[in-house]
Amino acid sequence: MEQQIQIDQALGSIQKLTNNIETIIRGKRTQIQFILTALLAKGHILMEDNPGTGKTVMAKTLAQSVAGTHHDGSANFKRIQFTPDLLPMDLIGSHIFDDVKKEFIFKKGPLFCNILLADEINRASPKVQSALLECMAENQITMGEITYPLERLFFTIATQNPVEMEGTYPLPAAQLDRFFIKIYFGYVDEQTELDIYRNYLGIQNNLQHIQQVLSMDEILFLQDEAEKVFIHDEIVNAVKNIVRDTRKHADIILGASTRSGITFLKCLKAFALVNGRTFVTEDDIQQLTPAVIDHRLVYRNKEAKQKALSGILDKELSRLSKLKING
Amino acid sequence: MGIAKTHSWKKLVAQVVLLALPTSVLIYYLLVQANGYYGILQDNSAIQHWYFDAGILLALVFYSFRFRFITTTAVLFVVFYLVYKSTASVSLGEFDAFFTSVNFLVFATLFCVGWLSGYGFSRSRYFSIFWPLLILAEAIAVFSHQSNLAVGEIITWFALILVYAAYIIYTSELIRNINNDQKYFSWFVFKRIGGFALIMLVLMFALSLLFNKDIKAIEKEMATTQNEGGKGNGESMTKQNKDGSLSNKDQTKLTGSLSKDKRLVFVSKLDNFFKDGKTPNPLYYTMYYFTKFDTLTQTFERDPYMPDNDLFSPDPSKIPLYFTKIDTNVIKNTHAPLARKIVNADVYSVLLSGSDFLAPSTSFFCQPIPVPNEYKNQYRSAYRAKMYVSELNSAYFIYNPGGNKMLEAFQKERFDLLRQTKDFSTLDKKFYNYYTFMPRNEDYNKIRDLAAKLSLTAKTPADKMLAIREYFLSKDEFGQPMYKYSDNPGIPGLPSANKLNYFLFDNRKGYCAYFAGATLFLLRAMGIPSRVAVGFLTEDRSSKNPGWYWFYEDQAHAWVQVYFPGYGWIDFDTTIPDLNTREAPQPDQTPPLNMQQAYFVADGTVTDIDTVAKRMKMDVKKIIFHDKNFETNVTQHIETDVSLATVSVDTGAVGLGYVKAGMHVTAASYAEALKNIDTTSTDSVASILKRIPKVIPIDEIKIIEPESKEQQKKKDANAESKPVDWVKILAYTIYGLLLAVFFLFSLPGRIYRFFYSAAKWENDPRKKAFKTYRVTMYYLNQLGYFRTNQGPQQYARSIDAEFATNFEQFSNIYQKLKYSTQPLTSAETSMVVSFFKPFRRKIRSKLPWHTRIVRFYNIYNTIHFFKQPKIQ
Repeated sequence: MEQQIQIDQALGSIQKLTNNIETIIRGKRTQIQFILTALLAKGHILMEDNPGTGKTVMAKTLAQSVAGTHHDGSANFKRIQFTPDLLPMDLIGSHIFDDVKKEFIFKKGPLFCNILLADEINRASPKVQSALLECMAENQITMGEITYPLERLFFTIATQNPVEMEGTYPLPAAQLDRFFIKIYFGYVDEQTELDIYRNYLGIQNNLQHIQQVLSMDEILFLQDEAEKVFIHDEIVNAVKNIVRDTRKHADIILGASTRSGITFLKCLKAFALVNGRTFVTEDDIQQLTPAVIDHRLVYRNKEAKQKALSGILDKELSRLSKLKING
Repeated sequence: MGIAKTHSWKKLVAQVVLLALPTSVLIYYLLVQANGYYGILQDNSAIQHWYFDAGILLALVFYSFRFRFITTTAVLFVVFYLVYKSTASVSLGEFDAFFTSVNFLVFATLFCVGWLSGYGFSRSRYFSIFWPLLILAEAIAVFSHQSNLAVGEIITWFALILVYAAYIIYTSELIRNINNDQKYFSWFVFKRIGGFALIMLVLMFALSLLFNKDIKAIEKEMATTQNEGGKGNGESMTKQNKDGSLSNKDQTKLTGSLSKDKRLVFVSKLDNFFKDGKTPNPLYYTMYYFTKFDTLTQTFERDPYMPDNDLFSPDPSKIPLYFTKIDTNVIKNTHAPLARKIVNADVYSVLLSGSDFLAPSTSFFCQPIPVPNEYKNQYRSAYRAKMYVSELNSAYFIYNPGGNKMLEAFQKERFDLLRQTKDFSTLDKKFYNYYTFMPRNEDYNKIRDLAAKLSLTAKTPADKMLAIREYFLSKDEFGQPMYKYSDNPGIPGLPSANKLNYFLFDNRKGYCAYFAGATLFLLRAMGIPSRVAVGFLTEDRSSKNPGWYWFYEDQAHAWVQVYFPGYGWIDFDTTIPDLNTREAPQPDQTPPLNMQQAYFVADGTVTDIDTVAKRMKMDVKKIIFHDKNFETNVTQHIETDVSLATVSVDTGAVGLGYVKAGMHVTAASYAEALKNIDTTSTDSVASILKRIPKVIPIDEIKIIEPESKEQQKKKDANAESKPVDWVKILAYTIYGLLLAVFFLFSLPGRIYRFFYSAAKWENDPRKKAFKTYRVTMYYLNQLGYFRTNQGPQQYARSIDAEFATNFEQFSNIYQKLKYSTQPLTSAETSMVVSFFKPFRRKIRSKLPWHTRIVRFYNIYNTIHFFKQPKIQ
């Protein structure tokens, strides 16, 4: 049975957030939806594209929309620029000697926040990447004998440049798995681009004064609501089929894991809510499959990368589209 | 070499050993075959196959490096061409140059073929399919030039190439995938080989269908030689039945030699006399007509569907004694009202099968009669036949009247009558075409030419007929007869050459079937309707018993009948006399003369037989009394005295003990006591049985044996073997195809109608939504707007963008219905109910009707709709 969702309230919050982001980021509605989906599914998001497409601005805008800088009850936002010489300590924090108390105290690093922008994550060494990804998976940090839990709301927005570019350390498949969704940012269309150039002063001005539109509690509320979204048994079935098909496919060396399937289901629910629905449909599957599944797979070659998943998806969509309504 | 390699040395070695070597062996064998038929001076296959080997080997090595195919091969060709040109121009003496250049050409061709195949094995994946097909084509080309092509050999070759193809496909795929483990490898190889086997099967089937007749002819010929080879006799005009009796053969084939024996077959009394009433006029006894000639098997065949069938062939052994079987249709079918009379013939069988019926044409009446007691050991059975006989017909047609004034007058009179027929324009077209049909090809054109030559001076059909006869009797420039009668004419050296042509133009020797066959086609070439008759020729050798004729085995005969409007079929025999054998006179014996008058005949079943008291009880339904037939539906019981009776079956006389209760018998009485009992027209079986004595004295009992199953089967088979009507088959095929095409074209529309009405008549809103969605999806799919790779909303949005419809709204409602448990609002319900028609209207208004129709009726769209996409 569908749980009662306070849909109006939820939609209102989502709408506010979306509108706020769109004052800065133009023509990126789909990407905004994906980011909100990852946020609502209690996951993390990875954005990949060439420099200058607005990834960082997007992350910053989102973070600041939900986290006022210093007010009470607002989310805490930190930003780390990943560089090759970054060390795990710089993220987690370190024990320093307190002269007064004559003991080592733990100085919390930037990971202890609500929203983390990990900029250009693939520029850091694998050591640092691992440290971050561990936190993302466990939602806690163990330092020596003491385990420090992270905040209840911990959302990572990572950006990376395409791996072919120089000075990057590609993320291993296992670590990519930690990100619920990976999106490609892409360039805006012609008209929007022209629009941006005409108003770049205004946009820059907006960027200086991003309003906090949602409190942290509201985000947590939205996350709870997303879990209540109704998911039909056939949709679950379809998720199972897609995940299993990726393992059977001749051109896919490493298929999707069971954890991916669960992640997929979470994302589907969140995505439905972001789209103002209290139930998941075929469209959600169609739009989310590449974003959720694609970066977890290891393909035989480049050609396969373009074809394999869309083939699997199309087969499943075709099956769903012919299903009879029961009852 | 600085050029990168496409594959490893290991792979190359594998290719050479596993692919090139077997191919080389096969090519060698093909070259040996080819040299046998194309070789000018000597067999060069041993050297030639090295050319090929060199080509394939070099190409394999060469293309294992990353060379481009087109440029390198083009260079090779150009080099070869230039060398070829230069050898031709170097004048070492003209003859030498010719052979050098020819040899070089052979070398270049074989080397290039080897080179191409080497490239194929090395690089091309599809080559393994293409190459065996090429080999097959080559094999067919080589073998089609052989004259002694045997079926077995063809099959062997097909099998060999199939095996080779399977091997090559499998091995080349194996070598290709030497490094990576393709998942579906075995399936892939299986598909390839299966496909190839299918192609081969179809080819073989087509070939065997095409050459079916040839194959059968060969088999038949083999069977004949095997069966009769031991006796050293080729074909015979009669066949031996199981019980030792003889029949005319169902088909007469032109073969090497004819066997004849001198046993008496039957004796007959024929009441046919010339106008003087004393001189007997013998007639040929006909058994079958052969109206068709199968050009491939060189066989004359009976055709139960010949137009105006006038063949009366009852089974005398199945007709009760004294009862009659009459078919007046044959009289009607002769269409011969002129110069006809009805003639009786009694046939006493010696060796003739009891179920055979022979009589001069055209018989229409058959009545089994008893063989008189004193001849019972001599003759098996007898029957009386009645014929509707032409007064112009006579066995003397061939025999020279030999100075007999009366016969000469008769010949002249009848030819004068026949000469009145100028043409056959009054005949029914179908009838005329059937009886003047002859195949059209080179061989028969030769016969046509001869016919034209012969009919140069002859005006009327009768004169043309005589010209043919004269031609067969004519003498060449050395005074020797042009044609000779021979039972062993020998067969022409080449199989399946037209034997009639061989007879007519080369060998000029043959027995009756050759003469009859040749005459038939000469006549048909002249446009004279004719057919071959088979039976016995009649010779008048007896002066003691006029009208009685004796028939020996060597009198089995084939001749021609010619149709004259008004006079019907006239016998016309062109077989020239056999100077060696027919001279020998046959001693004729005493004929069975004492035939008795049967006053009472009863046909029925024996219910009780007492061999001691000589009493037999019968259930009868049919009787003959004083030559009148009586029948009843109520079974009558009669008691008979059989103390004097003689009992017979088809094969001769038997004792009374042979009769058992339950047998079907015919009992006849010659008793004087019955002679004076008259019949009236009001009589019935019952009234007659009341008047005659309670215990009827019986003199003659004939047992009618039930037909054996084998015979029954044979009869059924004969009845069923209808001719194949190719036009009909073609018509049905076309109808079938048209229907299939129509069905295929109407299918998209039908499915649409089904979906549409299903949606229209659905009342439950949930189901209606589903059905409406289905018909919408189908409609859009048929118009070429596929959903592929799109979610429903995305798809609907794209449709809406193009046609300004509200499909997205509907799609969303449908998705809601499908994937949530929320009920529809009333607005949504009304949207579902009234969605499709306005939607369709909008699409129609945007798409021109012809585009719509072309797309809508595209069956591929329909297939696409129902096809489950596959993951590649």
